[in-house]
Formats: sequence, C-alpha cells, structure tokens
Amino acid sequence: MALRVPVNLRKNLSVVLYGFQALSIGAVIVGIASLLLLPLDEYSRRTYISENALLPGQVHAYFGGSEQNIVRAFRREVDLLGNSTSDVVAERMAEIFRSAGLKVGKQKYEYKAAGGEYTGENVYAVLHAPRGDATEAIVLCAPWKNIDHLLNEGGVALTLALSRYFKRWSLWSKDIIFLISSDARAGPQAWVDAYHDLHGPNIQSLSVKSGAIQGVVVVDYPGAYHRFESLHILYDGINGQLPNLDLINTAVQISRDQMGLRTDLQEMWDHADTYRHRLKTMLRGMVNQALGHSTGPHSSFIPYHIDAITLATHGDGWHDEGSLGRTVESVFRSLNNLLEHFHQSFFFYLLMAPNRFVSIGTYLPSAMLIAVGLTLTAIRLWLDPRSRTKAEGGEAVEQPDEKPTSKATKEGGENKAVETVIDGGPKRELFLPLSVVIGAHFCGVIPFAVFNIIDYKSMSNVFYLFIATSFILPTVLSVFITLTASEHRLLPTFHLSRCFSLLFLGMFLSTLATVNFSLSFLIGIFSLPLMFARTTPTSVPLAFINTVLLQLTSPFAALFIVANYWGLGIEDVLKEASFGWWVWGMWTPVVVWSVWWPAWVVGRVSVDASFVMALTGKTSG
Amino acid sequence: MISFSHRSRQWLSRSPLSLFSRLLTTITLLLCFTGSTTADTYDENLLLQPLSGQFLLASFNFQSLGPIQTFNKQLFELFPRSLGQILQYTHTRELHLRFALGRWDSELWGAQPGDGQNAGGTGVELWAWVEADDDAEAEARWTSLNNALSGLFCASLNFIDSTRTIRPVMSFSPTGDYPSTNSSRLFLLHGTLPKEPVCTENLTPFLKLLPCKGKSGISTLLDGHKLFDASFQSMSIDVRPICSPINGQCDIEIQQNIDMVLDISRSLQRKDSPVPRPRDQHELVCDTTKEYASNEYCYPLDNSFDLPWSLSDLFGRSIAGSCPFAVRHPPTPHVCIAAPKDRLVQPTEAATEAPSSPNGNRCYILQENQQFDVSLPKQEPPTIPLRKEPLLYAERSFTGHGQEHGGVKTVLRNPSAIDFIEVVYLESLPWFMKPYLHTLKAELLPPPRDPGDDHVISDLYYRPALDRKRGTQLEAKVIVPPNSVVILTYDFEKAVLRYTEYPPDANRGFDVASAIITVPPHRRRSDGKHVPATSIRTTSLLLSLPTPDFSMPYNVIIFTSTIMALAFGSIFNLLVRRFVAVDEVQRVDFKGKIAGLLGKLKKTKAE
Repeated sequence: MALRVPVNLRKNLSVVLYGFQALSIGAVIVGIASLLLLPLDEYSRRTYISENALLPGQVHAYFGGSEQNIVRAFRREVDLLGNSTSDVVAERMAEIFRSAGLKVGKQKYEYKAAGGEYTGENVYAVLHAPRGDATEAIVLCAPWKNIDHLLNEGGVALTLALSRYFKRWSLWSKDIIFLISSDARAGPQAWVDAYHDLHGPNIQSLSVKSGAIQGVVVVDYPGAYHRFESLHILYDGINGQLPNLDLINTAVQISRDQMGLRTDLQEMWDHADTYRHRLKTMLRGMVNQALGHSTGPHSSFIPYHIDAITLATHGDGWHDEGSLGRTVESVFRSLNNLLEHFHQSFFFYLLMAPNRFVSIGTYLPSAMLIAVGLTLTAIRLWLDPRSRTKAEGGEAVEQPDEKPTSKATKEGGENKAVETVIDGGPKRELFLPLSVVIGAHFCGVIPFAVFNIIDYKSMSNVFYLFIATSFILPTVLSVFITLTASEHRLLPTFHLSRCFSLLFLGMFLSTLATVNFSLSFLIGIFSLPLMFARTTPTSVPLAFINTVLLQLTSPFAALFIVANYWGLGIEDVLKEASFGWWVWGMWTPVVVWSVWWPAWVVGRVSVDASFVMALTGKTSG
Repeated sequence: MISFSHRSRQWLSRSPLSLFSRLLTTITLLLCFTGSTTADTYDENLLLQPLSGQFLLASFNFQSLGPIQTFNKQLFELFPRSLGQILQYTHTRELHLRFALGRWDSELWGAQPGDGQNAGGTGVELWAWVEADDDAEAEARWTSLNNALSGLFCASLNFIDSTRTIRPVMSFSPTGDYPSTNSSRLFLLHGTLPKEPVCTENLTPFLKLLPCKGKSGISTLLDGHKLFDASFQSMSIDVRPICSPINGQCDIEIQQNIDMVLDISRSLQRKDSPVPRPRDQHELVCDTTKEYASNEYCYPLDNSFDLPWSLSDLFGRSIAGSCPFAVRHPPTPHVCIAAPKDRLVQPTEAATEAPSSPNGNRCYILQENQQFDVSLPKQEPPTIPLRKEPLLYAERSFTGHGQEHGGVKTVLRNPSAIDFIEVVYLESLPWFMKPYLHTLKAELLPPPRDPGDDHVISDLYYRPALDRKRGTQLEAKVIVPPNSVVILTYDFEKAVLRYTEYPPDANRGFDVASAIITVPPHRRRSDGKHVPATSIRTTSLLLSLPTPDFSMPYNVIIFTSTIMALAFGSIFNLLVRRFVAVDEVQRVDFKGKIAGLLGKLKKTKAE
C-alpha cells in the first residue's frame, strides 16, 4: 500500500477532516437552534408601518347603517343563486354591477390538471377613479366559493354593496376593480394571468382593463347570517412569496385599533403571545411557505409583484358585515393613499404573531447554516483520501482511522518520491460517480412528469408503485455498480457520488434559501441523514440503521407527513401538486423531484452498496 | 366705439378695481380702437349636454379673432398680450396647448366633443409650428417657447426637453392658413408631460387670458373646486392664423376650450355633505317587488329617473350676466343645452331664448348684469341622452410583467358596420422604454377570409431612441375594417437608469404618454359625407422600471463614514499622543512651585 502523504501531513489531514465534520455538525446544530431562538423577544421585532403614506386607521370609516340593508338584500340574492352554474352567476353579478354604473367584464376559463377540469367564469367590474387616468388600480376580490368550497355569501354581498358605496366617494386616486372569481384557486389565477396577457389558450382575455394593480384585498365571509369573532389574515403566496409586510400591518392595525377586531394568523385561534404560540405560528407559516401552494385567492396575485391578502372571518362573535365593511373601507382608504408601489417594508419575513416578525437578516442564517453543513460535508468527502482510487494492483485506499505506523512499515519499500507530493497521490476517478449523480438528477424528471400527467384516480396506485420502484432502484443501481466495477473502485465511487450529491444539494439549498427560506430549511432538515449515511461494507447493522433513517426522511415520508398534516389522502396531495404546477406554476414539485429525490437516491445507493459489497465479499475496495 | 367703451366702463365699475387702473384700461382700449380699422371680435359659448350614466358635459368655448397686422404690430386688443408676445418672440405661428385630467369614457359618453380636437392626453400636451431657418433654430425657439409658457401657465412645460419632443410626420397637419410663409420654414414640434397634475394654478392663468377674466359671462362658472372634481376635464388653447380665401385678409384666432364631465349625483351629494355617509333608510330607493323586501332588506334600484340639477347646484354659483365683449348684433347664443327634446329645461326669467338652432339645442342669450341659471327638474321615466357614436374605440395596456421586458397592446375597434377607417397611430415613448420594432404586429379580429388580406399597417414611420437624448417616435398608418378589431402589439425592453436619474417617487413608476390616434381630414365615408378630422387619445400608462434600494448607498456612506471616523480618530490619537513610561512622567511639585512663586513675589516686593 502506497503511503502517498507523509505521516505528519496525514495526521494533519485527519485533523482537518475531523474539523470539517465538527464544523458541519456544528453548523447544523447552530442553524436549528437559531431558528428556535427566533420567537424570543430579543430576536423578533414588533411590526411597524414603514410606508408613511398609508396612514392606517387615520380616517373615519362610514360603511354601515342603511348600507347594511343593501348587504342583507345582496346576501339573499347570492343565496338564491347558490347552486346555479357559473355563467348564470356571472350574468347576475354583472347585472348588479352594471346597475351600479360600473364597467363590467366577464371571463371564462378552463384548466386541466390531474385528469380533472376546472372551469368557471369570473366576473369583475371597474370603478373608474374620478379624475383618475387608469394608471393604477386596487382590487377587491370575493371568490364565489371560498377555498373550502363554501358559498362566500357575506363576501360577495359585501363586495357588491361596497362597489355601490365606493362609487359615491370622489377621493379615489386609483381605479377600484371588484372581482368575483368563480372559485378561490383557479379563478383568480386565470384572471390575473389574463390581466397581464400571459394566459393560456383556454382562458378568455379580459375585455375591460385598468392600470397597474397596487394591492388586492380578498374578502372571505362564508355562511349565512352569522356574526364573526375575529379576522383571519392569510398572506402566503405561490412559491412561498409574500406580500409586503406593510399591507399586513395595515390590515392588522386597522382591525385591531380602529375596529376592535382580533386578527389571527395561520389558524392560531388562541394566540396568547407565548413562546410556544409564536413558534407554532412561525412553523405553520413556514410549512405553508415551503409547500408554496395557494392558501386563498390572494396567493395568485403575489407572483406578479402585487401585494395581496385575504381577510377571512372566523368564529362566532358580535362583529357583523358592518365591521368587515368598515375594515375593508379603511384598508382601501389606506391603499388609496399610496403614492408609490409597496416597497418600503419587508418582502421576506416570518410572522409569529400579528404584531411580531423576524426579517430575513435574522432568520436567513439558520437555513444557510444547514446548507453550509451539507456543503462542508461534501468538501470533507472530497478531501478524504478515500475518494481517491489507488492504482491497479490491489492497493487499498488508506483509511484515516488506520494506524499510520503499521501502514508506514508495510509500505516502506514503495516509491518514496510520490510521498513528498502533498496534493498528488492516486487520482480521483470522477466518471462513474458523476454519471451516477447526474443520472439520478435526470431521472428526477420521470416522477415529475409522471405525476403531472397522470389521472387523479390512478395517482395513488402509481404513487405506491413509484415508492416500490424508488425503494428498489438504489439497490439495483448499487448491485449493478458493485458487480460491474472492479473492487478497488467501489468505495471511492460511492464516496465521490455522495460528495457530489451533497455538494449540489448544499449549493442549491443555499440559493433556494434566499428565495424560499422555508422550503430550503425543511428540505435541509430532511436531508440531514444524508450527511452521515455512508457506505459501510464492514458493518451491516450500521448500514441497516442508515437505510431505515433514510427511508424515514425520504420525500415519500415527507409527502405522507404533509398528507397527515392536512388530513388528506396521499392522492389529494399529489393532485394538489399537479394542479399547482399546471395552474399556479408552483415550483415545489420540481424542487422535490429533481433536487431532493435524486440526492436521496444517491444516498440510498451508497448505503445499499454496503449490503451488496458485504454479500459479494468485495469489502476490501 | 364710444358706446362700447362706455359699456366696458360699466362692467369695470362692478369689479373692485381701483379708479386708476380703470382709467388706464379705458385709455388703452380707446387707443387700441383708434389704432386699428377693425375691432377684434369675441364669442363665448357654453354647451351643456347630459350624458348617459347621470353625467353632464359642460363645454366652454371662448374665441377671439383679430387682424394679424395689429397683432404683428404688438397692438393687442382682445388677444392676450402675455401670450401674444411669447408667440412673436419665439416665432410661433400656430400653437396648441392642452391640459387634461381624467379620462373620457367613450363607451358610455360616445364621441368626444369637437371630435376630440380640443382634448389632450393626460397631463400637458403642447405642439406648435415654429418658423425658423433650420432645425437648430427651431429647436432653440421651441425651448424658449416652452420656458415662457411654463412661466405663464404655472406648469412644468420647461421639462419638455429633447427627450420628450418629437416631430410627428403623419399625425398632425397645420389647421391655420399660411399663404405667405414657405412651408419648409415651418417646423412642427410636439411634447408631452403625462405626469403633470393639472390643477387650479393652471386654471387661474387660463382665465386671465380671457377678456372678462372670469368676472362675468360664462367663465364665472369656472371654479377650481368644481372643475377639478370633474370626472374628466380638459383645457385647451389654440392659436392659428386664418385667411379669407376671398380678399386674402388674415386674422389671428385664439380659441380657448374647457370641457368637463360632471358626475351629477356626486356633485349634488357634495352640496349636501362633503362625506358620502350612508343615506337615511327612508332615502333609499328599494325594489319592493323582491319577496324578501322589508325594513331590513333593500335591493337598491338605480336610474329610475333623471336627477334634477341646476347650474348653481353643480357649479356652486350661477352665471353673473354676460361678458360685455361677447354681446353681438345680431345676438349670438351664450348658453346651449343639448338635452333630449322631452327633457324639461327651466331657465331663469332673465334669459332670452335664442331662436331654435338646427340641431335642436335650446339656446339662451345672457343679459348684462343679470344672473342666469338654468334648471332641469327631476324627470321620470329617464330620458335617453344624445350620444354620438365615436369613429373608433381605442384602448392601450401593458402586457407581461417583470423588470426586464414588457409589451404594449393597443386595441382599435371600428364600430361602423360599413366604413373602413384609416387612422394614424402615434406613440411617443421615453428613451428608457426601448421597443423592438420587429415584434410590432397587427392582428385583425375577426381574421380576414383571405389570409393575404391582412395588411393592416399601410405605412410606418419610426425614429429610434437615443439614450438620454431623445425618445422613440412611432407612427403607423392603420386601416381598421368595419366591425372589426385591430390589435397592435409590440414588446419592449426596460433600460436601467442611472442612480441620479430616478425621480423622488421612483417606485411609483414612470408615466408613458398616451398614444394619439388621428383620423386625417378630408376622408370620405361610403355615403359621400366627409369624416371630420378626429383625434382620440388612449390613457397614459405607468411603466415600472427596476429600482435600486435607494437607502443602501446611504447606509454604505454611513458605515464607511463611521469606520473612517473611528480609524481616523484612533490613528490621529496615536500620532499626536506621546507615550511615556509611568516613571518618566515628571512629578508636578505643587509645593515647590508655590514656594518659588512666593519667593519671586518676595523678591519683587523687596526690590
């Protein structure tokens, strides 16, 4: 066995390697710990209004009195239309808007995803700002059916009544668009796509348009004649993008200070502002952000750099449509004050209570540290002498934990000249490991394409088939490699494939963290076992533990967790993903199937190789 | 002549002018009259036209005409001296200035008054024919014209620099007559300021140009608060020479127009309360036929009657008699109402009704020193207001999103069932919006039966932008077949501006001037009638450009300054301080010093 590195350097190298290991583990621990620290008072901040023009709650809101009689009448009208088809609904809504003297447009749309068809007809009306020149607009939206498929009676009735009420004011500086979308998921997307002329062939263009949309408020007030207790503010956009914090702050401040309305975030109905509640709110927000799906009609607007929130009523209390109407009125007065597009406040933040947040500067390090941990592991694997293939002739690649003295005596007679070369030594053979990693990433296209093409009905069957395939595939690959490659190349191959895979994962996650922090963080957490899962042909039990760990943190396991979290079937989650891809342009499936899954496959390959090598007896490699 | 000045004295005596200025004015007037052979004529007219949707168009027109010889000799009678001198100094032969706010809703209101010839795009628009020897001289005169008008009208017209100036080739043609001027010496220059907010400070100088200056006549209605609460308002000034084809006598004409569209219900409501509080329950008009109708449920009913209004309701005052200069023999009508025949019109008793005009308008002649008001009572069922179908509907919007690229989409719809219409589409784009001309496409809807028959654009003029020097000018001659829609689209790239080129409100976006669509004069329709020269303006657009985080450089400056200060402070401290060991420090011996001083004192005393 050639001793390529002098003894003292070799010692130093192992110190360096252990140092890297310690650093990467340390980075991960610090990363997780720093996230858990965020809800503390010292690390989070109170929210504040950054844009002075907004002046939230500085004006008196007048909506109420006889206007409520009109809301009630419109409620009955909505109720009467309850189960009509979308074109009947759209025509009736258009009639009401027209009688208020507004410009009305209708839009039919049709999406196909996961074997299902999503059709509907949006109807909207434009209130021209008196003296306005159609350069800017704000949108008040009410989906006919809300995200839970409940008839949004209150929301639609309120929108209709507000459209008449707003018309009487002369102070609007921006056009106001009243949008009644057919549903809460596909309708707003179709509308906002068509507004920017970026819609598909099955979606109608808009006949009436206005200027650049500055803000969107969605009203979700389902159920007949009920009073509500608090306002639930939804703010997550597609792909984890968020609206400007100023918009949320405005809504919170107006509801709380002007209307005496409690606001809730992330379905935390009893938020006592304790550490646990803050953490829970933050984690729920992170899950929503990581999934990157739509949480309401507002979500579709956010990718267009339009700040949007949904105000959903919750509970049973003493507030009625008057309170909600005044809240919306006051928010619109604030939006109307905007001189510039929302830009002052944060676009990257985590909310942990309606009035507490952390900004990107504080939270970003935790996801970055996890990604750095993965990258450091990859660097360690590269520096590790086990990545080098020794020359033909049965020379073993040295192990750092081997006794150097015994080796030195064994290899004493070998070529000394090479020893002096510090960086020299056996070459790393890159072809096989690189092809494994690249091949795995290309294979990621297959599940991505399959799950976006197949039908909803066959989804769960295909999924279980795919789990089985994913379970066997790494084993088959490792058997194939073990049987074809020569024995001395095996360990370096698996070693280097892990190295490249982790390097790619680490770099990708650190980039992703700047765009979608939560997704990066959660994939990072799930990928932690990949840091440790190595090829151990000498210890089959360890390999077994590694396999179980990897299996538990696989993308499938994550899918099951998500399904469980929502109380849905696995096929519903996959349907949502497919719908998300086709309708919203949601990137989460791409990340899962072409970044995370390949990394997991490579991890499994190197672990499974332990069994195969142990079985075939190619353990010396 | 004497009676005229007498009348004017009468008029002046009512205004709070000092005796001295009154005398001075009279003398000037008398001097003017003796200096010229023919007097200037002046006409003013107000047209009130109810529009659909409970709107009212009030169209003010002030026109004065005088011989060009006196004008050239700087003998101004009714022509405003301030404007006249500017025009002469800058050799401007024809001037068109527009201030506009809001948008004309042609779907609802039909064609614009005066075929859109008096309207401009949002903000300020100015075009003029300047006489000069060459291009450079024209440019210089144009600049001084802008600067002078900027001062006169309190508008930022001085910001019309070379980047905002274009020289339209197909869109505009002179409306005046130039028998003696070589047309090659006339340069057309056109500039727009889409962002300019038009307000009262522009109205005041506008009124000052009028002979009666808003003190009497129809201009008394022009109050800034009412004018700028209108849904659409446009002020225009046109100066042009007009020559008689018979005797070659040339006159200079100045036309001032104000078109405003008032929302009747909003104006009436503002009279009661500035805040549109929810109405009392008994004031609501509810549909009682609904089965759920009760005290608690009110399905609102609208437009069941014509709202009652009068001039004093809408404008806050009535007309304070006629302007003495606008009294003519035979009398010309001052106020006309273009309401449907079955709509009742009740003028005040003082008004004289003019003989009915051929177009069915009811017109009135104002009497001097007598208040005039007209009221239209509530009428049920509502009348259908007169509406003239516009020649073309135009709409323009941005497509796409993002910080690098975008697109513009213009929809031109020809409502006519039989007539083709040929228009010139003019875009004046800022230099930081760089269109890709190869992406300019015209789509015809419905598509033509013969695929080769879709030559929508018949002529194109394009002058590309130069960074920071001039904007893009794009003129396209487009033919819109009857009952069809032409969709013009093109893509553009957004330039990144230099740090200092951003305005203070950079995140608002940058206004892009409205596109101007002109129907050239002398077109014939299929029935042989002339199509009047028409111009239509789209709304302006708001272009968002990539904006830097403006606070970042200041943060950097603050950080670097702090570090510099710290470094400088400590290094300076190290340099100037002398370091010595503790034992090297000389002990200050106070006792010895005091003793020495005392000794010195003793010595001096002893001496």
